[in-house]
Amino acid sequence: MQALAPTPQQVAPAGRTLDVDNLTVRYGAAVAVDGVALGIEPGEVVALLGPSGCGKTTLLRVIAGFVRQAGGRVLVDGTAIDHLPANQRNVGIVFQNYALFPHMTVAENVAYGLRARGQRGPSVDQRVERMLEMVQLGAFRARLPRQLSGGQQQRVALARALAVEPSILLLDEPFAALDRNLRLDMQIEVKRLQRQLGLTTILVTHDQDEAMSVADRIAVMNRGKVEQFDTPVAIYDRPKTLFVNGFIGTTNLLPGKIAAVVGDTAMVELGAGATLRLPAPQGIAAGSPVVLSVRPEQLVLSPIATTDSWAIEPGLSLPLGSQLIHEARTVDGAALKIVEPRRHTPTEVPRRFCALATDARPSLFPRSTPTATE
Amino acid sequence: MIFNRRSLLAGVTALGGASFLPGIAHAKGSVIATTYPGTWEDAYRTVVAPMLKKKDDIDLELAPLFAMDQIGKAKAARGAPPFDVFVLDPGPRIVGLEGGLFEKFDATKLGNLSKLPAGFTDDVGVHVSAQVVGIAYNPKKLPAPKGWGDLLKDPWVSRLGITGFQTTFGTSSLIELSKLFGGSLTNVDPALVELKKVLPKIAAVGLPAAMPGLFQQGQCDVMYTNTQTVATLKGKGVDVEFVKPESGAITFFTTMHIAKGSGDIGNAYKYLDLVISKEAQEALTKPPYNFLPVNKDVPLAADMPMKNLDEMANYVQHDWAKINPLRAAWIEKFNKEMAK
Amino acid sequence: MTSAVVTAEIYGERRSLRLAEWQLALPLALAFAALFLAPLLLLVATSFFNDDKITEPGFASWAKFFGDPFNYKVIADTLLLGLKTVCATVIVGYPLALVYMDLSPRLQKVLLFIIIMPMLLSVVVRTFAWIVVLGREGVVNQALLGLGVISEPLRLLQTELGLVISLTQIEMPLMLLPLISVMSRLDPNLRDASAALGASRWRTLFTVIVPLSAPGLVAGCLLVFASSTTAFISQTVIGGVRLIYLPLVIWQQSLVVYHWPLAAVASLSLVVSVLTVIAALSYLGRRSSRHLQG
Repeated sequence: MQALAPTPQQVAPAGRTLDVDNLTVRYGAAVAVDGVALGIEPGEVVALLGPSGCGKTTLLRVIAGFVRQAGGRVLVDGTAIDHLPANQRNVGIVFQNYALFPHMTVAENVAYGLRARGQRGPSVDQRVERMLEMVQLGAFRARLPRQLSGGQQQRVALARALAVEPSILLLDEPFAALDRNLRLDMQIEVKRLQRQLGLTTILVTHDQDEAMSVADRIAVMNRGKVEQFDTPVAIYDRPKTLFVNGFIGTTNLLPGKIAAVVGDTAMVELGAGATLRLPAPQGIAAGSPVVLSVRPEQLVLSPIATTDSWAIEPGLSLPLGSQLIHEARTVDGAALKIVEPRRHTPTEVPRRFCALATDARPSLFPRSTPTATE
Repeated sequence: MIFNRRSLLAGVTALGGASFLPGIAHAKGSVIATTYPGTWEDAYRTVVAPMLKKKDDIDLELAPLFAMDQIGKAKAARGAPPFDVFVLDPGPRIVGLEGGLFEKFDATKLGNLSKLPAGFTDDVGVHVSAQVVGIAYNPKKLPAPKGWGDLLKDPWVSRLGITGFQTTFGTSSLIELSKLFGGSLTNVDPALVELKKVLPKIAAVGLPAAMPGLFQQGQCDVMYTNTQTVATLKGKGVDVEFVKPESGAITFFTTMHIAKGSGDIGNAYKYLDLVISKEAQEALTKPPYNFLPVNKDVPLAADMPMKNLDEMANYVQHDWAKINPLRAAWIEKFNKEMAK
Repeated sequence: MTSAVVTAEIYGERRSLRLAEWQLALPLALAFAALFLAPLLLLVATSFFNDDKITEPGFASWAKFFGDPFNYKVIADTLLLGLKTVCATVIVGYPLALVYMDLSPRLQKVLLFIIIMPMLLSVVVRTFAWIVVLGREGVVNQALLGLGVISEPLRLLQTELGLVISLTQIEMPLMLLPLISVMSRLDPNLRDASAALGASRWRTLFTVIVPLSAPGLVAGCLLVFASSTTAFISQTVIGGVRLIYLPLVIWQQSLVVYHWPLAAVASLSLVVSVLTVIAALSYLGRRSSRHLQG
C-alpha cells in the first residue's frame, strides 16, 4: 500500500471548478436537459441522481463533449469548454460497462490515452505501472479485459481514465454492474482515489444509497431539471419537493389539511385522526389540503393513545438486521412503515397507536388531489 | 428411415447417372424439345406449341439451350437425355453425330416429306430452317461495308465487334475473312494475324450471346451475324442493315434430331412433321421471327438476301466435318491472340 | 459402488445423446456427400484422362494445362481480378458501413434495403444494366461528354477497370452484410471512451474500430473474392473475351470444345488457387481477431 502515497506528479494541483450554466439539450422536440445550472467546487464529488430518462446521463455526455447542447455553457475553472471536441477536453470518464478496448491488454488500455497524446517510451510504461499499482492490478498487465472480473475491469477503466491526469472525472453508473458486496468495496476505493488526487468528480447514478455514501453533494434530477442540489443530509431531512422526498429514502405519506396557522405554528389535521402542531410551511394557507411526509424511523408506536397520536391497525413485523420494520394501516387507509431498533425483549402489549418521535423532522407539501401519494 | 448400403449406393448412382439436371417428367401426350434462347424460343412458344396442341393434342415443352449446351447436357446425361429433340447448327450436329447422341431417323414418317427439297433429310435428322451469315452495320454511323476485308479498315474497324470460334456464325465468318488473306477452310491463322494488327482499334470482343446487346447499346456498330439477328434488332427499332459480302454470304441449315433414349419417339416425329409443315413455316417466316423456310410451298420474305432456296447453292457453305477437329485449337489460339 | 453405477448411467446416457445428435446431422452429411463430394471426386477423376472422349487415363491434361505459360497468366489475372475487386469493395464499403453506424434506425433500414437490393435482381439483369451504364453511348459517357469533360467516349466496357467497377457494385452486399453485422455489435461507448482519452477520429478508427471490425472485414473480403473470381457472366459480358479468366476457359473447354478432362483441370486450378488465397486471408483474419474470439 506504500505505492498509494501520492507523489506530487500524481496529484492534480488542486481540483478544478466545474460550472454548468443554464444548460439545455434537445433531442428533436423532446427536451432532455432543461436549463440546468450547477456550481461544483474543486475536489468535490457531485452525484447526479434520478430515475432513468431524467437527463442525468445526457448532462454527463454534454460535459464530456459527446453531445452538443442547444443552449447554455460548461465552464472548467471559469473557462468555457463548449467549443472543444471531446478529445481535447481532458475529461476522464468511466462507463457503466467500462468500455475497455477488448483487443488490448490491461497495460495497453491504460496506456491508450498517453499514446493518443503522443507520449512514447519508458515514461509511458512507468506511468502505466504506477496507475496499475494504484488500482492494485500490477500482476494483470498482460491480461485481456475479458479475462478479468467485473471489479477488476472497473479498476482498469478507472486507471485508464486517471492515467491522463484529467481535469474532471466523470463516472457513468460505474457500480451498477457489480454485485452488492463488491459495489461497496469499489465505492470506497473510488472515493479514496478521488480524495487522494483531489479530482472534481461527477457521478451519475439512480441508486440513492450510492449517491448518499459517495457524494459530497447530490443533484436530484427529474424530467431534465434539477429539483434539489444539496448535501445528502439536507436532501434526506429537508426535501424541497415531493419528488425528492419520494425518491430519497423511504417515507410515509399522510394526507390531511391545515386547520389553522398561528404565528409560526400550523395545526395539521390528519385524515388518520390526529391534530399535530408543526412549523408552518411557507405559502400554504389555512384550509389547504396537505401531505405530511415522515421517515419510518421518525414514527413511534405506543400501546396508549395521546392527544397527538392516531390509531392504527398493526400488520406484519419483520426483523431486518439490527432493526425491526412494522407495517400498519391508518383508519383512512394510508399504509405506514415504522422502523425501530430491535430490542431483546419483544413487547407483549399490542401497540395500536402511532405518533411522531420527539426528534422527527416531518415535511409538509401542498396536496392538489384528495389523496396525493407518490 | 433405414438405409442399407446397397440402396444408398443405388441412390447415389441414380443421382450421378441423371447428373445434376432437374429431370423433366413426361406428361402423357407431350414432347420436350430444345430451342435457341431468344427469337427461336419466342417463335416456337407462340407459334408452334399451340399448333401442336391443336393438331395432335401434344404438349410442347421447350428447353431454351444453345446448341453447344444441348450437346453438353445430352453427353452428361449418358443415355437418359433430358429432352426428346435437338435443334442444332452444322458444327454441334457433327459432334452429336460422333457422340452417338441421335436416334436413327426415318424420314418416311414425315407426312410433309414431299414438301422438302431433296437432301433435306438424312438418317439422323431433318433440315428445319436456313441461316444466312453476313455483315450487319449501323447505317446512321457508318457507310455500307462491301466485304469481309472492309471490317479491318477504317472507318469500320474502330467500330467493329467480333466473336471467336464458339459459334457457327463466328467460325464461318472468320474462315471467310481468312480466305481473303491466303487462308482456307482449315487455316484461319491469316485472319488472326490480320485481326491482331488492328486489335487496339477494335471496339468490342465479346461472347456471341452478348453481341446483339453490345450493338444495340452502340458499343460496336458493325459485326458479323446472321440475318435473323438483324431482323430481330430491326424489330426492336435498332438502326441496322444486313450486307451480303462481295465474296458471298455464308449459309447453313439448322437441323433437328431425335435424342437417343427419348421416351416419346412417336410424338417427336409428329412435332418435326409440324415444324416443316406449310402453316408453321409460313408463320415463322413472318416478322418478328423472320425465319428462312425450308418448305417448298412457302415463299421467302421480300427483304431476304435471296429469292428462293435454289439460290443458296451459290452461297458459301463450309464442311463442318473438317472444321470440328480443328476448332478446339482455334479457340485456344483466339484466346491467346486476342487476350490483353 | 452406487456412484460407479450412477456414473456409468450418466455416461451411457451421454453417449446415446451424442449418438442421437450425430444422427441428426446424417441427412445433411449424406446430401453433402451426394451433391458436393461425389461430383468433386468425379471432377478430380475426370481430370486424369488424356483425351476428350474420356477413355485413356493419364496425366496429359494436367501436363497440357500447366505446360502452357498462357494459363499461368490466366490464373494470375483471375486472382488479381479478385484482389482488385476486394480492394475496391473495401474502399467503398468500409466508409459506407461507418456511415451506416451513425444513422438513425429508420435511415439504417433504408440504407440496408438499398444495399441488399442488388441481390434481389438476377446477376444477368445487373450485368446488362452495367452495359447500359458503362457503354460507349452509356450514362457515364453521355454525362461526361455533355459536361464537356471529355471529347471522345471513354472505353469502359471490355476493360478491366469497367469490370472492377461493376463487380464492386455487384459484390458490395457480400462485403457490407458481414461488416455491418459485426460493426453493429460494437459497443458505441468504445468510440466515446477513445475520444475522451484524447484520441482523434482517425486514431479511433485505426486503433479501435478497424481492429474490432476485422472479423467482418475478413469475412466480407473472402465472400467478395470467391464470388468475383468466379463471376463468369459479369467477367465475359462486361469484360468481353479479351480479358481471359479461368471461368471462361472452363466454359470453353466444357461446353464449346467438350474436352472435359481439360475443363476439369482448369476447374480444379480455379478451386485450388481461390481456396489458397481464401485460406491465407482467413489466417490473417484469425490472427487479427484472436483477441476477440479467445
